[in-house]
Amino acid sequence: MAASSLKRRKVELLLDGVERLPTLPGVAQHLLALLVSAKSAPREIQQVLESDAALAARVLQLAVHFGHAPTPESITIQGLLRTVGLEEIAADLLSVDIVDAEVLRRGRLVRLWKHNLATAMAAQVVAARLGTVPPDQALLAGLLHDLGHVALPVLMPKAFGQVIERVEAGGADFLEVERELAGMDHAVLGKQLAQRWGFPEAIQNVIWLHHQANIPVEQSGAGPLIRVVRLADLIARQEGFGYHPSEQIRDNAQELAERLGLAGAQTEAIGQQVADAIGANIRAVGMEDEPTPGQLWRLVSAANRRLGGAYRAVSDQRREVQVQFRRADLLIRLNGRLADCHSSREVLETIAETACEVLGLRLVVPYLLARSYEYVEGVSATGEGGIEHHFLYEVSQSETLRTLLSEDVAPLGGVIGPVRAERVEAWLFERLGERLGAGPFYTVAMVVEGVKIGGIVFALAGGKKDTGPQETAELVALANLAGVALKRAQAEADLVALSEELAEANRELTAAQEARLQQRNVASLSEMAAGAAHEINNPLAVISGRAQQLLGPEQDAARRQMLESIVEQSDRISDIIGQLRRFARPPRPQPETVDPAALVRSVADDCRAELEGTPVTVTIEAHKAVPAVRVDPGQVAEALREVVRNGIEACARGGTCVTILVQPLAAEDAVRIAVVDDGPGMSPHVRARAFDPFYCGYEAGRHRGMGLPKAFRAVEANGGQMALESTPGQGTTVRITFPAAAEKPAP
Amino acid sequence: MKDVYSTGEAAKVCRVSQQTIIRCFDSGKLEGFYVPGSRFRRIPRENLMKFMKENNIPLSNLESGKKKVLVVDDEPELLDLLVDALERDGRFEVKTAGTGYDAGLLTQQFRPDLIVLDYMLPDINAGVVCRTIRANPSLAHTQIILISGIVEEDKVRDLYQMGVKAFMHKPFRIDDLLAKAAELLQV
Repeated sequence: MAASSLKRRKVELLLDGVERLPTLPGVAQHLLALLVSAKSAPREIQQVLESDAALAARVLQLAVHFGHAPTPESITIQGLLRTVGLEEIAADLLSVDIVDAEVLRRGRLVRLWKHNLATAMAAQVVAARLGTVPPDQALLAGLLHDLGHVALPVLMPKAFGQVIERVEAGGADFLEVERELAGMDHAVLGKQLAQRWGFPEAIQNVIWLHHQANIPVEQSGAGPLIRVVRLADLIARQEGFGYHPSEQIRDNAQELAERLGLAGAQTEAIGQQVADAIGANIRAVGMEDEPTPGQLWRLVSAANRRLGGAYRAVSDQRREVQVQFRRADLLIRLNGRLADCHSSREVLETIAETACEVLGLRLVVPYLLARSYEYVEGVSATGEGGIEHHFLYEVSQSETLRTLLSEDVAPLGGVIGPVRAERVEAWLFERLGERLGAGPFYTVAMVVEGVKIGGIVFALAGGKKDTGPQETAELVALANLAGVALKRAQAEADLVALSEELAEANRELTAAQEARLQQRNVASLSEMAAGAAHEINNPLAVISGRAQQLLGPEQDAARRQMLESIVEQSDRISDIIGQLRRFARPPRPQPETVDPAALVRSVADDCRAELEGTPVTVTIEAHKAVPAVRVDPGQVAEALREVVRNGIEACARGGTCVTILVQPLAAEDAVRIAVVDDGPGMSPHVRARAFDPFYCGYEAGRHRGMGLPKAFRAVEANGGQMALESTPGQGTTVRITFPAAAEKPAP
Repeated sequence: MKDVYSTGEAAKVCRVSQQTIIRCFDSGKLEGFYVPGSRFRRIPRENLMKFMKENNIPLSNLESGKKKVLVVDDEPELLDLLVDALERDGRFEVKTAGTGYDAGLLTQQFRPDLIVLDYMLPDINAGVVCRTIRANPSLAHTQIILISGIVEEDKVRDLYQMGVKAFMHKPFRIDDLLAKAAELLQV
């Protein structure tokens, strides 16, 4: 048992390696003659395939191999020829195997072939009469039913020889002897082979079960086909087309036929029909022919030539496929990389690197022509060193531009092949010169929507002098893709520039709106102040005037004081209104050319006079060479005084010194006066409103919050600018800037 | 009140030419004296009054001896105050107008020596009033003081060109106004 299971395993391993079974020399001769002939003979080829189990198995195997899972209706030689195609099958059959002469003789294979043919023919007739299965399917099943028997002598000639000897010695059951000597009988072997080759289950079951009277339930679906083949097998044997005389025939054909619903006499008629026709078939396919080695050699040579031609055709196709694949690969890779590029520089680098890498070029120099036609931006890369050099060249000279946009741009049916670069791209050689190495150089234009936007200059690797059609096509494809990517990068850059411009415009608009709002505020304030002055000063004049009249004759000191107070406070109200009016509508400046340092010194002197008894100091740091300014000295001095006073007041609440810096701003041709205090600083809220009239960050007091606003307006009216910077805890800096005067101040 | 008149002043009071006064003085119809050490004629008030009565000249100009002041303002309270102040002083005869139009009419009739003019009148710009007065040669002697709550300095400058002699900002010192008026009218 162990020995037999080992044998079985050996057979199984052997079966794994079987690709095809050989056929008889006579059949091979006939088939090859048909295949190499100039005339196509599909009908004859079909006849050969319908007569030979090995060839029929090969065709079914091919169908499975090509993925044409045969449907029950198409499991016929004709159906397979249709689905796989005669061309494919013919090409494969050119390499048909021929059975070894010794095996042929010892295995009595011609008999076996005849048996298969007879069974097939009988099965076809039986099926036709019964109508349970398609006759051509029954024919194929009959032809293949002894597939294991066809394989056994070929795969295991020695073991098979022993089987024949034992059977001939007498009495032994063929199948049992096969099992004993070969490890498995031909039914199982055939089934395993059919399984490995992916044959339809109906066929597998016929091969497996054609000797069995009782068909297992799970295979009952294949029952009708199996029974047809089984009956055909019996009929073939009865007609003398058994494989071996010693084969025992346990079953009676007539009994079986009757069970299937055929009259006993019909089996004989069928047998007779087969016997009458089989001779012609055998002759037609040359089953019994014995071609000489010379004949065979000639045919095999012819087949080889045919095969060689087929191989060349295939390898041509393969090369074409490879080329297309390479191009597709290039474009896909490039496209993938370009998708991540957002600037023209990135795109240029990617093009250069990819072209070097995928096309194996020695040098690649892609360049982009700026849309203004003012400059060319490019990059050079080599196959060895990668990106080597970025360049940006002015090309505004008309000569360079003319060559850059030369006639070579003109599309030739949409495709511009590479042209020699030395002439067309002279600008590049003038500038990059020796960096480019040895030529020849080629260039291909990048054209988008009929406009040249750049090009790719390149040199081939390995001393190659010319581009082949394949490289040309690849480079053109590359240039097209690159052109689109560069255009996109330009568009992206434009978008960024546009959004920056928009942001700038928006910022300016906002500033202008703020300024306009401020102006409108001032204008309405001015109007209000004018109205208020009129409306308030009239009653004030009456109040003050009446108080003055009462004051005249008054003798009582206390009452006099009260009346005087009324007069004074009226003046004060009037004064406030006057200030407001002057803020809203500052008096027109009377400009003079003034030395700012001198002006600052006089202001500081005034302010120091007010500092008696306080620890606060006012110091000046004036640059030696400060240009003169052209301002109304009175108004500007008053403005400065207000700013310095503001600083002093801030110091009074926690600081020690106010410093006035006078500096030239050479770059802007202006003079800067900065008043810096080390007081407590302002909160952002106070700072934001520091120039608003009547706004006072600290306690509402003597100054009524008009100092800085008045100063701001006065500076503005005199053509200067005033800005305030303050941080809580770090003091306040007021910067006043006036444009420098053209002339020097009068001494 | 003046006690002694020059021949020019006497001519003004009597509304005759200075030559007529001089002739009457020299013929003795109008009594007076020479300023010692000079030939300037002077006529005492009582002699002038006697002369005017003898010749049936209305005494209205002489009797008050007061300067005529027209106050123009649209604010009644302020008018009251000004009238009150000027009359209390005693040297001025005061009339008022609330609009530029009234001011024009009254100027023709009243022929004021001084107009105290508010800059912001409801109908006519003060500048127009000034120009109209200056265009009339018979009002050459009329002085103008402008009072206002708001006029900017550069505008004041223009108004001085149009014959305004003084500008006072409201609220003002009444004493200052009176002093200015007396100065302009030489009283």
